Amino acid sequence: MASFIRKKRVIGVFNLLLNLPILLIILTPLIYTLLISIMPPSEIYKNKLIPSSIDLHNYVKALTNPAYSFLAFIRNSFIVSTLVMLGQMFTCSLAAFAFAFLEFKGRKVLFILVLATMMVPGEATIIANYLTVSRWGWLDSYKVLIVPFLTSAMGIFLLRQNYLTFAKELHEAARIDGCSNPRFMLSIVAPLSRPALGALGAYVFLNTWNQYMWPLLVTNSANFRTVQVGISMLYDTDAEALGLMMAGVVIVIVPSLSIFIFMQKQLINGLMAGAVKG
Amino acid sequence: MTVINDRRAAANLGRPRKKMGVYERLEPYIFLLPAFLVFGFFLFYPFVRTIYLSTFLTDKLGNAKVFWKPEVLGLQNYIDLFSSGPFWASVGVTFRFVLIVALGGLLVGLTTSLLTAKKYPGVTFASAAYAMPVAIASAAASMAFRMILHPTNGLLNILFGTYINWTGDPQWALLSVSIVTIWLASGINFIFISAGLRNVPEELYESASMDGANYWQKLFRITLPSISPTLFFQIIINIIGAFQSFSQIRLLTQGGPGDATTVIVYAIYRDAFFNFRFGTAAARSLILFLIVLVITLIQFSFEKRSVNY
Repeated sequence: MASFIRKKRVIGVFNLLLNLPILLIILTPLIYTLLISIMPPSEIYKNKLIPSSIDLHNYVKALTNPAYSFLAFIRNSFIVSTLVMLGQMFTCSLAAFAFAFLEFKGRKVLFILVLATMMVPGEATIIANYLTVSRWGWLDSYKVLIVPFLTSAMGIFLLRQNYLTFAKELHEAARIDGCSNPRFMLSIVAPLSRPALGALGAYVFLNTWNQYMWPLLVTNSANFRTVQVGISMLYDTDAEALGLMMAGVVIVIVPSLSIFIFMQKQLINGLMAGAVKG
Repeated sequence: MTVINDRRAAANLGRPRKKMGVYERLEPYIFLLPAFLVFGFFLFYPFVRTIYLSTFLTDKLGNAKVFWKPEVLGLQNYIDLFSSGPFWASVGVTFRFVLIVALGGLLVGLTTSLLTAKKYPGVTFASAAYAMPVAIASAAASMAFRMILHPTNGLLNILFGTYINWTGDPQWALLSVSIVTIWLASGINFIFISAGLRNVPEELYESASMDGANYWQKLFRITLPSISPTLFFQIIINIIGAFQSFSQIRLLTQGGPGDATTVIVYAIYRDAFFNFRFGTAAARSLILFLIVLVITLIQFSFEKRSVNY
């Protein structure tokens, strides 16, 4: 018995050792970024790998120096991501409800149309979208960062699949009792579909927070710039400031990582629904 | 059936029957309206507009301007593209990039999934770490890699004792952005391949063990054949993702040196925002769409076949 346990422990340690080199490679970008961001500048240029002391001046500079307005970028990204998330939860649950519970003419065609949008990569329509919003005078605003993303086929699909698992009788019974559809949604469907809504919310917030190409095209001033565009510009303003750049990366990664750590399950559910589209 | 329900509902609420009927009939469309408004303005319209623009020469504001010679039916942008050397060079770069990323991502995902397939202390941490890249923005990761690949103070050159300009040397630039992309894709590869591994029936391994099969025999005879649909699906996801790459190119190489890393989305961006050739950019966008469509259809037909099988 004792030898069996020991054998098991040896196998466990062996497995862990096998993982170490690959773990190190995967985690290197994060660890190295963190190390450079707290390294005194002179040591960066001496090509040191481990800082001799912790120097937080890059963080202070990124967050307080008005030349970088990093706090404003964080605020912008937070506002945009939150509103896109809430908007998608709203529009997607309404549409998913219609597709799952209601009978109407054209239901099948419209649903196929929604699914078909999954085959159009956003990058293929980005030029035409840019021309539209610039003609509308929407460049450099919150709405240009929010409105185009207020729905998604993935969200509609994810919620519809979830609603289909509910008993149809639930809806019929509610109708007989005179419960209107909006009330049925709020008081019955919403609480029951909380896990699916959570998955959608985590996925959408993260995706919006991580967006780069669209915000790069449609914002010119620092007033509406988002974090991902902001960190890439830290470098353009001050090419020598490698430590500052890395502090910026750490600051924008922390929210992404927190969502990942605390909502891993929801996020992965959302991702799997999202990736089915490709 | 629904009619009866409606009447009962109407009676219960004490509302006029007729009004209820009209609302009832319109309600589904009202529920769909917000989503379809967004799709209409930002997906259907720009999609049609992209097709339209691709048949015109445009001015600097992207207005369709010049009608091409009538005999080419508005295909001038395509003719120009297909007869230009840089276009085919960019196609070549894109395909090489996609191939490296699709296979590299699969290899990393398969390795990490196999390493975490058994239970042992620390496996939860390792799994979380392997999935983690899904949460990291491509822009943020690109900036981190910019530091790692820095020609004078970067980690890679320090470790290897070299002075290579990883993103500026035509020999290394494409490989560098590919590796960044593989790192970004490794999380989703890990998640899907791990899920595939969990679905392999345990009995297959047990009976193989009784027949005295070793680890590698089990891997090649049982594991890989069992998860081959997952691997195929994952390759497709990697290919589509790689075709859409932009941030890492823009932040690490700007498509350079020369055109060594000008993949299709970066070419679209450059056409539109540096050269103001929106017509050409639209033509390229449509080519991107068609490529993704064909790959998706291949996947669908394969999935159908594997289900029958």
